[in-house]
Amino acid sequence: MSKFQGLRGGSTYHPVFRQKFIPTIVFLLPAVVIIGVFNIFPACYSFVLTLFDWNGFSPTKTFVGLENFRTLFQSREVLNSVVVTLIYATAVTFGSMVLSLLVAVNLDRDIRGKLIYRVLYFLPVVTPTVASGIVWKYLFDPINGVVNNVLALFSLKGPAWLSDPKWALISISIVGIWKRLGFGMIIYLAALQGIPKSLYEAARIDGASERILLRYIKIPLLLPTSLFLAITGLIESFQVFDLVYVMTYGGPVDATDVMGFLLYRYGFKYFNLGYASTIAVAMFAILFTLSLIQWKITKGGEAY
Amino acid sequence: MRKLFVFLCILTATTLMLASTSLVFWHYWDGANGKKLEELVERFNKENPDITIKPVFIPGSELLSKIQTATLSGRTPDLAISDIIGIPLLIETGKLVDLMPFINRDNYDVSDFYEQQLVYGRKGNQLYSLPVSTSNLGLFWNKEIFAQAGLDPEVPPKTWEELVEFGKVIKERTGKWGYELFTQGGEGTTWQWQVFLWSTGGEFLDPKSNYTKAVFDSEAGVRALQFWVDLVNKYKISTIAPWGLFGRGEAAMVMDGSWMVQFFPMQVDFELGAAPFPYPNDGHPATNMGGEQIFVFKTTSDKEEAAWKFIKWFTSTPIQVEWDKATGFIPVKASVAADKGYLAYIKNTRRLLLPFVESQKHAHARPPVKQYPQISDIVSKAILNALYGNATPESALHNAAEEVNSLLK
Repeated sequence: MSKFQGLRGGSTYHPVFRQKFIPTIVFLLPAVVIIGVFNIFPACYSFVLTLFDWNGFSPTKTFVGLENFRTLFQSREVLNSVVVTLIYATAVTFGSMVLSLLVAVNLDRDIRGKLIYRVLYFLPVVTPTVASGIVWKYLFDPINGVVNNVLALFSLKGPAWLSDPKWALISISIVGIWKRLGFGMIIYLAALQGIPKSLYEAARIDGASERILLRYIKIPLLLPTSLFLAITGLIESFQVFDLVYVMTYGGPVDATDVMGFLLYRYGFKYFNLGYASTIAVAMFAILFTLSLIQWKITKGGEAY
Repeated sequence: MRKLFVFLCILTATTLMLASTSLVFWHYWDGANGKKLEELVERFNKENPDITIKPVFIPGSELLSKIQTATLSGRTPDLAISDIIGIPLLIETGKLVDLMPFINRDNYDVSDFYEQQLVYGRKGNQLYSLPVSTSNLGLFWNKEIFAQAGLDPEVPPKTWEELVEFGKVIKERTGKWGYELFTQGGEGTTWQWQVFLWSTGGEFLDPKSNYTKAVFDSEAGVRALQFWVDLVNKYKISTIAPWGLFGRGEAAMVMDGSWMVQFFPMQVDFELGAAPFPYPNDGHPATNMGGEQIFVFKTTSDKEEAAWKFIKWFTSTPIQVEWDKATGFIPVKASVAADKGYLAYIKNTRRLLLPFVESQKHAHARPPVKQYPQISDIVSKAILNALYGNATPESALHNAAEEVNSLLK
């Protein structure tokens, strides 16, 4: 916080800002214009569009008032989508947190080739989502896929994964967790280095085992980190689109019809821009609430 | 002073002579199709020095949204093509030129086109687009699996009953799937199912009510969907799996498009045959069609006139014969399909395409309504719900019809 307060010395602006007013504005302008034209204006405009029935082709927009919102709240399709998205977001966020904590704790020790492990676990984070989605689609193929063939080695009969309405969301969540694991691992590793060694030493003198260390020192001291991962994870995975687009196209039927995909369908497949904007506003409301909760819990970002 | 005047006169005269009407033409034909188009356009430009057509390639998935933004910003091309499904939305822009006055003035023969092709561009007495290429669906079968199962590899099933019979023999004797269904949902599922619907005598949306009412939940529709469910659950010759079993030699028969006549031979290592798609004993042959249509954007009368000249030339029978030969598209006009040179070419060098050319007269048009993409998704979900056993064919189709009807209101 203090860094930002420095710009304004009390009630008056920072002298640099006052003396070099013109250059400051000139340097800020490109960013402001670009963000304004390509982010802020479209975002505000989509609020306006929620009041219209418009397909983007017709020269006239029909004003429908709050009709789009009424359809939204009565729609079973939207309800399904919210539920599917929440399941995905929760599974990916907490699944990846648990796994990345386990990986981080193990890689925090002096084991051979730990750098290689760290790179391997982090690789999925930087792999383009579309590419990994396509590869996973092949891995999950019910007949020729690697996953089911490996399961068959242990005489297990794997499900049809992406073709089975009961397994499709689980399959996509697995890929989501796999992609997020490395990020959580890096954050946890950094946090683990910050825990004073003296705490472990004191506990070991008292005869604490590794499990006790994890349970009573590491996990409690990692709480702010976990909170951070939980909130950012929920916000990020709530907006999932690319994995679904590549792997299941929302199907089978509507088993993986996440909100991002629902929005895409209405906006770019059905050209119903008014309703698509309404879905976008609903997503915004949900994410805004999540961010508010984060703000409250972390007391305005000061917790870390 | 006089010298200057003469000079100015000459300058104006040459500019007028050199000035040709330049038209931008958006299309999404790539590969061999794109090359052929460029070749044709070049020839047209040479034959018509006063007109210059500039073809611009735009990826198929982006064309519609690109036209969308172009109409909003008022910077449309002069002419373009689109998938037939996009035409009703494009007419809605109000930026397309009605071709009917040109057609009447020049006595251009529209009746040579297959009637089902013209439903997309028609709005009342106006006609906004003309077909330039089409494709349709038929049956492909794997001759090697047929032989392994002890079936005559040269005889495909002609009816649904034979399809089931052959499929069962294949499943029993080779363990392979008899017929591959498209179960991945979306338009891929819907448009294949429509062939089954039409061949039982059903309709998709009611043409008599100007396509404002869903009628796919009729008895014929239920029968068609029950047949799909039976293929999976009763006869067990089909399965719910990602698309591609036929291509890998794991299923003996499949419904696929005429364009696969080019691609299958490159992709598969077995011998295959193609035939019109089977229909029920008491039904009719039917197929579904895709394709592109060409249209003109409102600009200046000079440009519109030049665009019409190009369309007239491009859709003329000799050029269409040449176009279809090079691209493997199915003729959009009866005179092309009956052309001796074209038929000889198909029979000698592209035998697999023949059943598709012959099926085109049985091709139905998907309803030309702007809500079609959404309707297609609703129906494909109903089909899958029935296949997964979440609903009976009756209730799945009934619910879908209600949803579609409220959309069309």
